[in-house]
Amino acid sequence: MHEMSLMGDILQLIQEDATDKGIQQIDKVELIVGEISNAMPDALRMAFDIFRDQNLHLFTETAELVLHIEEAKAKCVLCELEYRPDQKIALCPSCLVPSGKVLSGETFQILSYEGRN
Amino acid sequence: MKITLRTDVLTNNNKAAEFNRELFQNTKTLVINLMSSPGAGKTTLLEETVRELSGKYRIAVIEGDLATERDADRIRAMGAKAVQINTHGGCHLDARMVAATLTEFDLDEIDLLFIENVGNLVCPSGYDLGQHHKVAVLSVPEGNDKIPKYPQMFMRTELVLLNKIDLLPYLDFSVEEARKDLTEINPESILFSLSARTQEGMHEWFSWIEGAYLQCVQQ
Repeated sequence: MHEMSLMGDILQLIQEDATDKGIQQIDKVELIVGEISNAMPDALRMAFDIFRDQNLHLFTETAELVLHIEEAKAKCVLCELEYRPDQKIALCPSCLVPSGKVLSGETFQILSYEGRN
Repeated sequence: MKITLRTDVLTNNNKAAEFNRELFQNTKTLVINLMSSPGAGKTTLLEETVRELSGKYRIAVIEGDLATERDADRIRAMGAKAVQINTHGGCHLDARMVAATLTEFDLDEIDLLFIENVGNLVCPSGYDLGQHHKVAVLSVPEGNDKIPKYPQMFMRTELVLLNKIDLLPYLDFSVEEARKDLTEINPESILFSLSARTQEGMHEWFSWIEGAYLQCVQQ
C-alpha cells in the first residue's frame, strides 16, 4: 500500500526539523501508530529499512525505528463502558446498540527522534 | 539529543486540505469525494449525475486513476469539465494533488465539484482532500462482507450509495444486512439503494446533493 510514501514523508519532516536545529546525524525515530490508523506496522518497518539502506543523509546505518502502537478504544455513550472495538466499531458489546464513540486508535504521529550534532 | 515533535504524519496533506477547503468555501463550490472499490460504478454514477443535474448546476469532475484518461473522457462526453489525475501507481489521491489540479478550474464558475478517488477501499479514506462530504459507493456484486471488512472506510463516510440494485434478484446480497453492518460501524451514516444503470433510486441521491449544495452556499 502506501507505507513507502508515508515513510518518505516522515523522514522528510524529520530531516527538515533536524536541519533547522543543526543536527548532523539521526539514530532513532519513534512513531505512534494507532491500530485503526490505516498504517501497517510491518510495512512501515520495511519501508524504514529500505530508506535507511539507501544511505539518506542524516540517517545513520544503525538508525532504529520504534513504533508505539496505540490501542483502539471506544466508549459507549449509554452505559459508559470502554471497549476494544472489533470491526463493528460503534457496537457496544454490553448494550448491543451502535452507541460507541472511538476514543483512540486513529493517531499516526511522529513522536520524536534522536540525533547528534 | 532527543527531539519531541508529536507531529501528525499527514500534516502536509492536512495543510493542503485546509487550503482547498478555504478555496471551496470562498467560491461556494460544493465538493464531494467519491470513494469505492474498482468497478463499483463511480464513473457511471457520475455520468448519470452530470446528465441529470447539469441543467441546474455547473459541474466539474476530478478523476483519479493510476493510468489513462478514460474516465475523464467519459465525463467530458456528458458535457462537464473533467480533469484527470494519474497517480502512476499511487493508491489514493492526496490534498496536494487536488490543490495542483484546481489551477485548471475557475471555481467561481463551478457549483458542484466531484472528486472520483482511485478505486480502493483502504487508502483513500485516510486522506482529507478538503471536501465537504465523503461518499462511498458499494455495489451489490461485491457482496455483503465489504462493509465489515473495511470498517475504516465506512466509519469515515457519511453517505453510502449501494449501487447496481438491479442485480439484487440474481445475487445473494441483503440490503437489510448492509444497513445493519453500516449502523454498527457508523450510526450516523446513511445508505441509499440505487442503480445508476436503470435510474432506480437515483432521485434520493440527487435530492441529497441539492440539500448539500444549499447548505454549502448558505454557510
